[in-house]
Amino acid sequence: MKEHKVLIIVPAFNEEESIGKTLHKLIHTSRNSPYGIDICVVNDGSSDRTVDVVQSFPEVILLDLPYNLGIGGAMQTGYRYAYENNYQIAIQFDADGQHNNEDLSTIIEPLYANEADMIVGSRFVLPTDYKGSSLRRFGIVYFMYLLYLLTKQKFTDPTSGFRAINNRIIKEFAHKYPKDYPEPEVLIYIHKKGYVIQEKSVQMQQRQGGSSSITPFKSMYYMLKVTLSILMQKVIKE
Amino acid sequence: MNISVVSFGVVIMFLFIVLESVRRGILETKYSLLWILTCVVLAVLSISTSLLEMLANLLGIFYAPSLLFLFGLLFSLIIIFDLTRRISQLNHKIITLTQDFTLLKQELKEQEKIREGSKK
Repeated sequence: MKEHKVLIIVPAFNEEESIGKTLHKLIHTSRNSPYGIDICVVNDGSSDRTVDVVQSFPEVILLDLPYNLGIGGAMQTGYRYAYENNYQIAIQFDADGQHNNEDLSTIIEPLYANEADMIVGSRFVLPTDYKGSSLRRFGIVYFMYLLYLLTKQKFTDPTSGFRAINNRIIKEFAHKYPKDYPEPEVLIYIHKKGYVIQEKSVQMQQRQGGSSSITPFKSMYYMLKVTLSILMQKVIKE
Repeated sequence: MNISVVSFGVVIMFLFIVLESVRRGILETKYSLLWILTCVVLAVLSISTSLLEMLANLLGIFYAPSLLFLFGLLFSLIIIFDLTRRISQLNHKIITLTQDFTLLKQELKEQEKIREGSKK
């Protein structure tokens, strides 16, 4: 077995349009990178040709869930793989081409330098080209203040799915991972356990393929649900 | 025929269904306990008018049989809550199992690849 240190976990649910391009770029980056990066796709029970596309990349590790577990269950599968195979760092990377390969070293390096246990790629630390709808921005700011109230730490992009963790948190996540709305919930869970979380500025593209299903009503409902689970996460017992 | 007799009849019939389900292996014994308890309490309350009236007096309820509905409702709530908890546990188990299955499947494929490679 070759020496591996970093595992990029790409959760994919019906991403046949964009995942090929994303994997192409990731493989290119990993070949030219000093870190020893492996790439792993967690197919979350897709009903389209996502699996076929992934299988055409023999160097990509495929974890093929038999049915849809949702983002939390899917990501945890990847973290369990990382834990069982002794990876030092695991990175969550979206299949839809939103995240930027050039930013990988930005979020890996602080972990190697032992500055933090978890790095979240944020669109809003420094001004970037990202333009979201005003509703989306409102949601992000709302969660930022909610998390600030609970943790006294400022997370400018709490829903960002671009994040890296070290082997200590890999172990935590392999054991327990918030299943419902993991992105914001994870922050409070990890913060509560006393780990150090940092944000780094990254660029994010608009989604490359597929379409967002979010309507104003749905996002209000989403915010309510996430608020509740964040508050519950605060009181939940280990 | 008053409501006490009707509810007693219904409860006894229901108790019979619960026991029969356990006997046939449709309902697991440990899950039947709460149901049996519900049936017994409701049966006792509905047949013994004096007990029901005493309790109703104690709680300041004018129409004693309505106490039956209260108990029935409360027990339903308890059982539904118990069920939701069990579903959560099952859900957790099934997610872990699915992940185990997926990880094993990947490992099997990996080993097949290695074996094929060594043949060549």
